[in-house]
Amino acid sequence: MAQQEERRRFLKQSAVALGGLALGGGGYLVSCTPATNQPIPGSLLGPSFKAGHLLRTGLTVVPTQTEEIDVAVIGGGVSGLSAARWLSKHSRARVCLLELEDQTGGNSQSGQNAVSAYPWGAHYLPLPNLANRELLQFLEEARVITGYDAAGLPLYNEYHLCFDPEDRLFINGYWQEGLVPHWSVPQPDLEQIDRFLALMEEMKQAKGADGRFAFDIPLDSSSADAQFRQLDTLTMQEWLHQQNLTSEYLRWYVEYCCLDDFGATLEQTSAWAGIHYFAGRKAQAANSDPHRVLTWPQGNHWLAERLREQTGAEIRTGALVYNLELKEGKVLIDYLNLATNQATRLVANKCILATPQFVRERLVAKISKTAPKPAAQGFSYAPWLVANLTLKKVPNGKGTPLSWDNVIYGSRSLGYVYAQQQSVQAFPEKQVITFYYPLPDTTPAARQAVFTRKREEWTELVLQELEKAHPGIRREVEQADLWVWGHGMIRPTPGFIWGQERQKAAAPLDGKIVFAHSDLSGISIFEEAFYQGIKAAQQLLPV
Amino acid sequence: MRISVQALLLFSVFVVATCGLVYELVAGTLASYLLGDSVTQFSTIIGVYLFSMGIGSYLSRFFNRNLIGWFIQIEVLVALVGGFSSTLLFLLFDRVASFQIVLYLLVSLTGTLVGLEIPLIMRILEDRFEFKELVSKIFTFDYIGALLASVIFPLLLVPHLGLLRTSYFFGLLNAGVALWLCFYFSKEVRWMFFLRTACVVAIGALVTGFVLSDRILAFTESLSYADKIIYSVQSPYQKIVLTKNDREFRLFLNGNLQFSSADEYRYHEALVHPGLNSVPNPKKVLVLGGGDGLAVREVLRYPSVEKVVLVDLDQAVTELFKSHEVLLDLNQRALESAKVQIINTDAFQWLKNNREQFDFVVIDFPDPANYAIGKLYSNTFYKVLHQAIAPGGAAVIQATSPFVAPNSYWCVVNTLTSCGFVTMPYHAHVPSFGDWGFVLASPQKELQVNGQFMAQLRFLDGATFEQMRTFPKDMPARETEINKLNNQALVRYFEDEWAKYLN
Repeated sequence: MAQQEERRRFLKQSAVALGGLALGGGGYLVSCTPATNQPIPGSLLGPSFKAGHLLRTGLTVVPTQTEEIDVAVIGGGVSGLSAARWLSKHSRARVCLLELEDQTGGNSQSGQNAVSAYPWGAHYLPLPNLANRELLQFLEEARVITGYDAAGLPLYNEYHLCFDPEDRLFINGYWQEGLVPHWSVPQPDLEQIDRFLALMEEMKQAKGADGRFAFDIPLDSSSADAQFRQLDTLTMQEWLHQQNLTSEYLRWYVEYCCLDDFGATLEQTSAWAGIHYFAGRKAQAANSDPHRVLTWPQGNHWLAERLREQTGAEIRTGALVYNLELKEGKVLIDYLNLATNQATRLVANKCILATPQFVRERLVAKISKTAPKPAAQGFSYAPWLVANLTLKKVPNGKGTPLSWDNVIYGSRSLGYVYAQQQSVQAFPEKQVITFYYPLPDTTPAARQAVFTRKREEWTELVLQELEKAHPGIRREVEQADLWVWGHGMIRPTPGFIWGQERQKAAAPLDGKIVFAHSDLSGISIFEEAFYQGIKAAQQLLPV
Repeated sequence: MRISVQALLLFSVFVVATCGLVYELVAGTLASYLLGDSVTQFSTIIGVYLFSMGIGSYLSRFFNRNLIGWFIQIEVLVALVGGFSSTLLFLLFDRVASFQIVLYLLVSLTGTLVGLEIPLIMRILEDRFEFKELVSKIFTFDYIGALLASVIFPLLLVPHLGLLRTSYFFGLLNAGVALWLCFYFSKEVRWMFFLRTACVVAIGALVTGFVLSDRILAFTESLSYADKIIYSVQSPYQKIVLTKNDREFRLFLNGNLQFSSADEYRYHEALVHPGLNSVPNPKKVLVLGGGDGLAVREVLRYPSVEKVVLVDLDQAVTELFKSHEVLLDLNQRALESAKVQIINTDAFQWLKNNREQFDFVVIDFPDPANYAIGKLYSNTFYKVLHQAIAPGGAAVIQATSPFVAPNSYWCVVNTLTSCGFVTMPYHAHVPSFGDWGFVLASPQKELQVNGQFMAQLRFLDGATFEQMRTFPKDMPARETEINKLNNQALVRYFEDEWAKYLN
């Protein structure tokens, strides 16, 4: 007996010793990696914090000059540009667009270095639905659509359709093609994923009692049928649970999609919005599969630039609007030129306020007490980190080679996009990747961290995420530029899309001030911003 | 708390047995990988291995004193020989004339050492157990170890660690057992410092091998040329290797054969002449790819040609073909001709920005084996090409093998057709490559080939070209997808077809 006891102990110790040997080997492996924690050069950028702060504390500058115009557009993001473009197409009004930043485009910012142009925010547009005539028209003018085939399907410019391979997912040690997990995924999970995708396909075709699609883009075109709209009262998490869709792989994938479009987790996303992500798009194309996206090295800034070219408006950047008043049938807009520190008063017949809700609240606060007070409660924003890394070379991995969109399973990041995917150059000397990291944690401490974290800390966070799929990638990185979006995009929390607040916020003020922003859709995508701009311009016409 | 000696040694038996079988399996697998015919390889390897174990068992009788010390030394030796054998075999394959002899020598050595282990342990333990218990225990552990090895080898080790790492890993286990025994018997055994040092050195070497196995593998693969290497350079884009044997020179880019001097004239005559011979009075010719100057050599046979623009990404290639004596003989100093302008840049970007038109365009890109090169076969590229062809002009495209990769070949043809080209597919037998395909393409409504080829050609004449245009019953034209930047259909076909062919 004693001997048996001894043996048991012996076996236990052997196991420990073997483990120790393995660990020792592991330690050796780690110590073998050259320590290259030298600081990586780069910059930390973001929207004008200082200007925003100025606005919050209140400015008491007296305008030294006054100008009269027909329409002022405040905000040069996609919705503001779209509004200005629509006005120039349908009126002869003199339009002036004021933008706080140095670049128009809003969330569709971009940068450029010696290697490539790259996005700082929104970076692709899914092929639009055929019913979205206005958007197709714009794409024709921008020569993204070059014509239509005999069946009436759009022919896309093939330099703008995402080059193949479009996306890959690092999962179970391997880069699989496509983002829906399948590599080494157990059969029961695969079955749930299939069931989910089939459900989404059904939802895509589903129509309400009013004959409209249950989920459409712009989302205002969606059916009012209660059986679909009531989904807005649930979270995506609850809906998945109701459908008995519990697979961890599926859960991860759906959450990845919610984070991608909304910056929100499953618990934060309305089920209607979550399903809309999969069911809202029903595009067809003559020369592409319907799931392909349109993209450019500089991301959607390319589209924003095409919009800007078509505005015909006078565009003033670096313009901080600090006061908005209604007086004698006119809209008075006071702004500070941040470059010259000179304040100007614009006297406009009408005004389009194309700013996010939190800016608008401050601007309209002064206006007549009859103004409907927008309930700030429903508007919630996701902070984001975007990093552009310049590398000697993205390390190779097992499986599908470098693609446009490269996602890491299990990561809270959205992976990275390869900025030069749309380049015809076969072998670039260096490479730029754009890494996206939503920060959905809404606790005060987490929000505080977004603004106080140092560049080195962000860089380290990015590298650690990337190392999950690319061990040793830090040795390849030559430059790491970062951009922190404090209020990245609006989140469709439950009850927001089909609740009261969104509609209230969209109502014009005294027939003089109209509102345009994707915040008013509840989903921060190009199509919605583009639509909100047109809708606002139409409310003003004729001017 | 000290563990009983018996238990420790029995555990060693278990580890040793597992390692022993793993080495045998590694050797068998390696032999079948490298030499083919797995039934023969496996059965001869197992036979030799078992026989060598017998030799080891026999030799054990000559060990009489200090048994534990000997056992530790043998463990270290097994660890080193077993751990490094697969790397050694990979490195030596293709390098030595009699690979089999080395293989079987290594297998015998491992077998002999492993054969010594069990008899020695039995003798170490003979005073501590009754004989029947000893035999029962030793062989129980021995066979359990064997079972474990044979199950985890195909299921876990080969797929996850690979052969090299598996060997190193089990070498480490052997060495680990040795080191542990050193500590356990530190008082009873002589020369302890020497033994411990040997263990530590062995472990260090094995860990290094384990960590570096990827690089070793990459290195051994780069050595896999059949002939003597006379030139080798790594450019920013590719590894350029020139080899020589009694009969021919061969150029490899990234290990892929580009041409053999013995039959390249077939390829380059077939590439250039059918098209260029049909363009009346050609003056300006564009060559994309083809930095070896061999297509340019053929182009320069036409006295009317005034200007040849050669666009090739890799300056290292064009420089090599302008400077190496042997290669200058081969391309007849074509790249030194005053008519030839060499531009080292990306062909797609260059063509997109180009506004000049050419009477004839030769496209001799590498095969579409990856997405970067796949772009150069896309409809978008061919639309740009369309713009660069002068009225009455034409282009020819090398388009992989219509026999091995029919979908790939016809995908190139169909993609050209979809861009408004009239095409004429043809193919030629190039012994180094096999049956190779080309596509002649013209923006005109009709494509007429002049069958009167110049007399000095070694391969091509009118009758031969007529045959080249015929596709036999087993390789007819077929419908395929159009290769686009947004589907890379060609790369997918190509990967699929060549993978099947090579397996």
